[in-house]
Amino acid sequence: MVSKTEETQLNRLENQVDNGGGGAWEYLCLVRKLKVRRSEKVLKHGLSILNDPKKRSALGPEEWTLYEQVAIAAMDCQCLDVAKDCIKVLQKKFPESKRVGRLNGMLLEAKGSWAEAEKAYSSLLEDNSLDQIIHKRRIAMAKAQGNISEAIELLNKYLEIFMADHEAWREQAELYVSLQMYKQAAFCYEELILSQPTVPLYHLAYADVLYTLGGLENLQTAKKYYASTIDLTGGKNTRALFGICLCISAIAQVSKGRNKEDKESPELQSLAATALEKDYKQRAANKLGLLTCSLRSLKN
Amino acid sequence: MAEDLVLDTAIRDWVLIPLSVVMVLIGILRYFVSKLMRSSQVPDPKIVKEGQVIVRARNLRAAANFIPPKSFRSRRVYFSNEENGLLFVPKGQAQNAQAQMFSDPNMAMDMMKKNLSMIIPQTLTFAWVNFFFSGFVAAKIPFPLTQRFRSMLQNGIDLSTVDVSYVSSRSWYFLNLFGLRGLFSLILGEENATDDTQRMMQMSGFGFDPSKQCATCYCAATIFCASDFCAAWVPDSYRNFSQCFSQDHQSLGAEKDGLDIVQHEWALPKFEHRAEAVLRKLTM
Repeated sequence: MVSKTEETQLNRLENQVDNGGGGAWEYLCLVRKLKVRRSEKVLKHGLSILNDPKKRSALGPEEWTLYEQVAIAAMDCQCLDVAKDCIKVLQKKFPESKRVGRLNGMLLEAKGSWAEAEKAYSSLLEDNSLDQIIHKRRIAMAKAQGNISEAIELLNKYLEIFMADHEAWREQAELYVSLQMYKQAAFCYEELILSQPTVPLYHLAYADVLYTLGGLENLQTAKKYYASTIDLTGGKNTRALFGICLCISAIAQVSKGRNKEDKESPELQSLAATALEKDYKQRAANKLGLLTCSLRSLKN
Repeated sequence: MAEDLVLDTAIRDWVLIPLSVVMVLIGILRYFVSKLMRSSQVPDPKIVKEGQVIVRARNLRAAANFIPPKSFRSRRVYFSNEENGLLFVPKGQAQNAQAQMFSDPNMAMDMMKKNLSMIIPQTLTFAWVNFFFSGFVAAKIPFPLTQRFRSMLQNGIDLSTVDVSYVSSRSWYFLNLFGLRGLFSLILGEENATDDTQRMMQMSGFGFDPSKQCATCYCAATIFCASDFCAAWVPDSYRNFSQCFSQDHQSLGAEKDGLDIVQHEWALPKFEHRAEAVLRKLTM
């Protein structure tokens, strides 16, 4: 997850480089450090450095990292010839390298030859069965072929060993949600909340899944997590505000006969509604009428 | 007996500085040799998995109050139940850290190699210092010392009336041995093989004493660089230990005990009140 300062720095550098102000190498290093996916820009600026022999020799040993970065960006933009050239250069320099083997596998993936890529990855895994990146590539391949259930299975096996990898849990949760297996997705989101309790994104996603599951207990828990999202984001998250209103009205519907209203936070709904109206007035004033209508229908 | 001996500046030029330069060069040489000799370790899957289990259990303990009570309880059972809980180690298997280390041939070979790469240059340099630079006063320590240090610091000097502050070059060698660590971490980066001191701590922890000089080094360390030592040693050795030891069964048991103790107190209800307060402030 990229923090706000890092994001502003990245955007500033990007603008600078785009408008011809130099600093391409710093931009590329920052992209590599933050692991963001800006493949077109990386490809353009990386190639401009690599094709200029003076700049290339100025890099020294970092030249090879740049080749790798540009190769991956080229594969992402489907410029497979560029990628093949970069990989050839790297192979000449590092003939027995696993990293280059991995790049070859990725190239096969990009071309669409799934079976050969699978063969390449399995042979790499034989040498080192604990290579996290190769495992992830196989899962990505299964996902790209549309075989979500196999991707989930592979990811489960991966998570049995590397259970502290929170990015993997996140991917697993999204896969489950895409297959509507909400209970399992809820479990994954709980893992995420455990590893990073102060990130509001996970609270919000967990609340969404619980709300979708339905049932009184889940709705009440979802309300609590929407509230925690509001708290963590200072009330600025529109989705959480909507979530609160929807949850409260859904709870009211489910417990219509019984008198089981929780008196914990009676004003929460009206406060959330007011906050939403204020937000809409600021940002989308023409939709304010729609909002007030729908909120009123929720209250009834 | 506080008469001031005047030491020849030639001593500084021809003893102190060359000795320091030689030790720096030997350190750099050892760093590159260790880089060449380093065998790539294939990580053991069981150890990796145990490490990850510990991290996950620790996360569970730390953030337990953020998930609903039922989920917490089910996770706790998953970790510490008797049959196939991840953290559960039957009593017979809990091994001593050292025994486990010695039973693994690869790790033992690695330790031997690292120890040798430390012992041999040390021995050679020490012998060289003794041969060429003994029998005269090399330096004066700026603070006064008691008589007990005389035997250690004034080896070559056979006069018992000389102030203990005047030391022989052997003590300069020890000073450099421990003091150049900071310099090496500056010029060689963090993980450098010249980090003798923590390895010596490891060895003395086993009751090993491969060479007599290590015992005197141990004493000298506590005198010369005590504070520098402790401050840097704890994180260094923790890292070093964790490579060998912390994935052993003792820490699994510790995590399990910690998890059993945790009382779950769901923090979410009070978030509702906080959210109310936030919204109230926002809509004011």
